[in-house]
Amino acid sequence: MPDFLWNSQSPLEKAVIAGRHGAGKGTPGVSLSHVGDIALVQVMARRGRNADVAKAAKKLFGTETPAMLKVANGKSATLIWSGPDQFLAFSQQPRSAPSLEQMEEAFAGTASLSNQSDGRCLIRISGPSANDALAKLTSLDLHDSVFPVGAAATTSIDHTAVNFWREADDAGANPAYAMLVFTSFADTLWHLIVDSSLEYGVEVAAIGAGH
Amino acid sequence: MRIACPFCGARDSGEFTYLGDASPKRPAAPLDGGAAVEEQFYDYVYLRDNVAGFTREYWYHGGGCRSWLIAERSTTTHEFKSVAAAPGAGAAKTAQAGER
Ligand SMILES: [Zn+2]
Repeated sequence: MPDFLWNSQSPLEKAVIAGRHGAGKGTPGVSLSHVGDIALVQVMARRGRNADVAKAAKKLFGTETPAMLKVANGKSATLIWSGPDQFLAFSQQPRSAPSLEQMEEAFAGTASLSNQSDGRCLIRISGPSANDALAKLTSLDLHDSVFPVGAAATTSIDHTAVNFWREADDAGANPAYAMLVFTSFADTLWHLIVDSSLEYGVEVAAIGAGH
Repeated sequence: MRIACPFCGARDSGEFTYLGDASPKRPAAPLDGGAAVEEQFYDYVYLRDNVAGFTREYWYHGGGCRSWLIAERSTTTHEFKSVAAAPGAGAAKTAQAGER
């Protein structure tokens, strides 16, 4: 009998090909990256328990729950608005983020939790042409005046549900976005983004992992 | 066409699905209340007005925040006069889902 070895691996293990793709030389128009091994928990307030959820979030994450269409940056996690009275608690450092058990304790009786750490895949896109590449995929208006840093949306990209938010600008003062997509759709979406970015030149980073 | 979700803002109509007329109210009478009540339930379950103009209808923002909405839409121009959360959408309101 052979011994099976179970390795956890990213759904984008094969899709991510690090390096420069598409047009031109010099500064790439689009930078793409994927970080595996994240901590992600969906938090949905129970009926009439909003205030209690906000209080518990403040205590646990060091931030209020996110306002509608916004992200709230806490000490131990980023809280991303995902619909009325619900948010995602996201961290790239799963070891230092509150554990699911700690969250269960903090939100006992006030919110329902669902661990999505292995259910969603994180894709980041930034660069001077990131908005142009994204304009092919999303119907969101990403203009600074409508979608500033800290804005969040739940939307459909290529018929796939994504949680989408704008992070702090990159080192070149270009817009930077993050999106969470169901792992089974990640490969399709990744290829779509790469193809849409080729004409601007795209720099793909090697798969990173949170610690 | 864009629909202004009260939670997400204006979004492409492809993110929404249409359910139907939001006007029918479930009769308050018990189901076994005889022929008159049966008539009311028949009306509630099967009969719909075919309005040329504004109607109240259910829409679901499944490609976004996954909320049930009630919209006032013109069947002749597709103009949306209003879009509001259906009773019970979100946890802030204490009302249960569904019209009463
Ligand atoms: Zn919505």
